[in-house]
Amino acid sequence: MEKRLRIALAGNMNVGKSVIFNTLTGLHQHIGNWPGKTVEKAEGTLHYKGYTIDVIDLPGIYSLSTFSIEELISREYIVVEKPDIVINVVDASVLERNLFFTLQLLELGVPMIIALNQVDLARKKGIKIDHKKLQKILGVPVVPTIAIKGIGIHELLDEAISLAEGRIKLTPLKVKYGKNIETKIEKITKELSRFEIRYPLRYVAIKLLEGDEEIKKMVSKINPKVIAIAKKYEKEIEHTHKYPCSTVIASQRYNIASTITKNVQQLATQKIEIAERLHNLTTHKFYGYLIMIALLAIIFFTIFSFGNFLSGILEDIFANASSVFEKTFGTSAIAKLGWGVLEGIIAGITIALPYILPFYLILGFLEDSGYLSRVAFLMDSLMHKIGLHGKAFIPLILGYGCNVPACLGCRIMETQRERLIAVFVTTLVPCAARTVVILGLVGKFVGIEWALALYGIDLLIIFVLGRITFKVLPGEPMGLIMEMHPYRIPHLKTTLKQAWFRLKDFVCIAFPLIIFGSFLIKLLEVVNLLEPIGNILSPITVGWLGLPSIAGILLIFGVLRKELTLTMLATLVGTTNFTLILTPIQMIIFTLVTMLYIPCIATIAALIKEIGWKKALYITIFEIIFAITIGGIALRLFMVLS
Amino acid sequence: MEVTNNFIIGEIMDNLLPLTNLQEGEKGIISFIRGGRKVIQRLTDMGLTPGTEITVTRHAPFGPIGISVRGSELAIGRSIAMKIFVKRK
Repeated sequence: MEKRLRIALAGNMNVGKSVIFNTLTGLHQHIGNWPGKTVEKAEGTLHYKGYTIDVIDLPGIYSLSTFSIEELISREYIVVEKPDIVINVVDASVLERNLFFTLQLLELGVPMIIALNQVDLARKKGIKIDHKKLQKILGVPVVPTIAIKGIGIHELLDEAISLAEGRIKLTPLKVKYGKNIETKIEKITKELSRFEIRYPLRYVAIKLLEGDEEIKKMVSKINPKVIAIAKKYEKEIEHTHKYPCSTVIASQRYNIASTITKNVQQLATQKIEIAERLHNLTTHKFYGYLIMIALLAIIFFTIFSFGNFLSGILEDIFANASSVFEKTFGTSAIAKLGWGVLEGIIAGITIALPYILPFYLILGFLEDSGYLSRVAFLMDSLMHKIGLHGKAFIPLILGYGCNVPACLGCRIMETQRERLIAVFVTTLVPCAARTVVILGLVGKFVGIEWALALYGIDLLIIFVLGRITFKVLPGEPMGLIMEMHPYRIPHLKTTLKQAWFRLKDFVCIAFPLIIFGSFLIKLLEVVNLLEPIGNILSPITVGWLGLPSIAGILLIFGVLRKELTLTMLATLVGTTNFTLILTPIQMIIFTLVTMLYIPCIATIAALIKEIGWKKALYITIFEIIFAITIGGIALRLFMVLS
Repeated sequence: MEVTNNFIIGEIMDNLLPLTNLQEGEKGIISFIRGGRKVIQRLTDMGLTPGTEITVTRHAPFGPIGISVRGSELAIGRSIAMKIFVKRK
């Protein structure tokens, strides 16, 4: 009979949870999204001492209140899925704040073990924790760990198994609030005891007093009377303490966390560390920005020149593929379709490997080292004007190279709402492929001032649409509240693994789409439907946009590979002297539409991965309509002005 | 003392100022916070409870404020920081 255990890792952000997760699961892991949400989900398996252990890395959160999706996901997973053990990963160097979360887990009544992580970093800060004393106070096992060095992981697993096998008895600390509040909690608990509730009753009582929306919804279905009672008590507490009830409870919880911390922590004076100097430098009013621009330039060019280099090599390898294919399979319709599929696969490889993998690696380093939060600090005010957060700055800049990593990079945003706005805005940034069209068509044949004007118009559109989305999207926008943890050297193995598994997840979505798109276009070519389709689209392309009818075919092709737009045009008209077929105004309109309409298929795949099918579809449809509308308006503006 | 829909509760005293008025290096004691439930909850969860001591670590000229609270450093957006009222220590 197979022995199976399910372990959930829970804790604040930046405590080393993912390092522990990666150490435990090695290559037996899978990264995706929580169903229907844009929050990343990492799960894996390991075999240890006869047990098969499934590990899930819950989103990093600071509290179990449910104002954010991440908190809701973690809480629901613990209560509904009932993992056998919850390992609460605690950062020894910020014990007090971490305990605030730990106490809430204790109130939730889960079987738990504490991994007291980063004790080495704590020591550097002059902090020493008596973990045995902490264990005694909290009543649950406390295992000191240094996850990046793999220290304490075995002990952690051994404790988990001992707990699962009943060899350890938990005597979890009962968090006691002030007398005034305790009496009210007891009264609510008594009212609740008549009903079947899947949460511990005391926990529900406390959450009702805190005004927790999800819990209120759940309880009102069972017994609305209790809600009224809780509301009454809530107001009484507010009246006595002069603060909102949830603040009072949180304050008292923090007081307990603080007392425990003082009891187990010893502080020695610390000298200014390199990490601290670096922090001051990178957030400096002047040097901070200098360093950021320099670093971003380096990152930008690294990703794209390395990408071009690797992509060039791959292209050389596949260069002969088309002629080899033709020789082997002939030029029948079926053969051409087969080639369409193959072309799609090749396109996918030449995008994903050279660009996306290095991008995920670099983003991982930026995030884990802590530098990303400094960029957010420096850029937040500016980003806010566009309706974005400071953290969105890097994905936005990357968008000028390629929208795909820019969109994927939005995973660093802290809430679902921010992620959505950021992802939308990055698709408006003109990537290298669109730059090819802007410079190669308008820049070359109309004038460089017009090309620059187009970039300017794009920026304006980003500004306007960003702000509109910010105001219009449901959900409460919130200013920046972000932790800047001390710089640290990222754990190489973890960063590598995360990059790899995130790439895998993206590839699984992107490849089918790219291959399908390539196949579809080849199909249209083979059955000679391209021209007819171009003609069907002519009310839009010719009538509304004033372009020649081949524009329709071009725009469809552009969905697959935008950088091939001009090449395609040259093929279709047999010349690269585009002034022969397009007037300057037509060139501008065409470029304008290309710049704003549907992102390429790979970007759509990235959108799907980050925000799901539905929202990706909305954005895609919106951008098509928007681009065509703007193009038509621009045409009429030109006609009126000339 | 007054309770309003926007959770503005607190004593109006003379030596209370918004967080944005503190200079780098200065310390303050949290008195009360203005704002919607979500913001107050989030700030509270991060440790900014009434009576807590905070130290301003850095000021970007038009940007967020860095504060040290309960052993960690937070970046707080200006619009939020303007509504955190402290007693200068």
